[in-house]
Amino acid sequence: MIMTTLEIFLIAITAGVAGAILGLGGGIIIVPALTLLFGIPIRTAVAASTVSIIATSTGAAVAYLNDRLSNVRVAMWLEMGTATGALTGALVAGYLNQRVLFLMFGVLLAYSGYNMFKARKAELPGEVLPDKVSQRLGLAGSYHDHVLNARVDYQVTRSILGLIIMYFSGAAAGLMGIGAGIFKVPAMDQVMRMPFKASTATSNFMIGVTAASGAVVYFVRGDVNPLITGPVVLGVLLGALVGARLMVRMKTTTIRKLFIPLIIYTAVMMMYKGVSP
Amino acid sequence: MPIELILARLLRIGSIIAAILLAIGIAATLLTGAAYAPRFITAGLVVLLATPIMRVLVAGLVFFRERDWLFTLFCLVVLCSLAAGVLLGQVG
Repeated sequence: MIMTTLEIFLIAITAGVAGAILGLGGGIIIVPALTLLFGIPIRTAVAASTVSIIATSTGAAVAYLNDRLSNVRVAMWLEMGTATGALTGALVAGYLNQRVLFLMFGVLLAYSGYNMFKARKAELPGEVLPDKVSQRLGLAGSYHDHVLNARVDYQVTRSILGLIIMYFSGAAAGLMGIGAGIFKVPAMDQVMRMPFKASTATSNFMIGVTAASGAVVYFVRGDVNPLITGPVVLGVLLGALVGARLMVRMKTTTIRKLFIPLIIYTAVMMMYKGVSP
Repeated sequence: MPIELILARLLRIGSIIAAILLAIGIAATLLTGAAYAPRFITAGLVVLLATPIMRVLVAGLVFFRERDWLFTLFCLVVLCSLAAGVLLGQVG
């Protein structure tokens, strides 16, 4: 019992570090680890993973907010999309063909992965012209980059398109029970042209809210097993604190190199779920 | 105080309380196996769960105090969607 708890705890720390750096929930590590290594039922594993997304988000956001890496105004604007999207996803979940969804979102992710690969050498987005909505809402931001040792001022563009994509990423989260960080980061990085570090930090800040509504439901249904979720969440929380400290000292190109294989892997897994019998 | 630092403080307090409750619960479960031990873990998880919801609420209050009506409205939309999602989950 003590050994198992310790093993779960160590895997959770790894998931927390990775999740904090990449702006994801870490569910991609937690769910397979719990089900395959420890034989824990999928419902319990998904519930534990959903609660742990909140831990990644909360733990990492403390550091990112202090460093001004998370853009609070962009996050509040886009959370309207993810929250209403998650609601719609939960409402229509029973009526849609899961296979078509997995295929569709898989193709979308593969395309994002390809675009990110093309931009892999770029440290910063360069000159970006803000759109009218971004100017009206004051979405532009700035942060101090420890690696470049310079203040980075950036603009945000295509704010409406970003909101629409967030709506669908929220719906995907509600429909398929996934953390939608893997959609949020490309939406901010490639569509809204935010610096990659600001994108992952803002995604990190946002995923806690998307996960909270899902986690409440798992709690009410009694899927949250304290003896499994407890060590997972504590581990992820500690891992996220470490990960956030590491991320601000990493080069953008390094973080991209970690993100690109993960997005390709997720895209392939989703497409596989769409076509497998 | 800028909104980032207010929210950072809120999230720090939430995660510290949750971490302490979880650590007590896990240690007590492993060492004593007492029946009350898992309740500490559950309490820690509930604190953690409430933190992001509180974060939207506090952001809304800060925007309201700054008379930033548009962003106050955004926070309200998010809170209403969260509430609807929770109610929906209980029914379904």
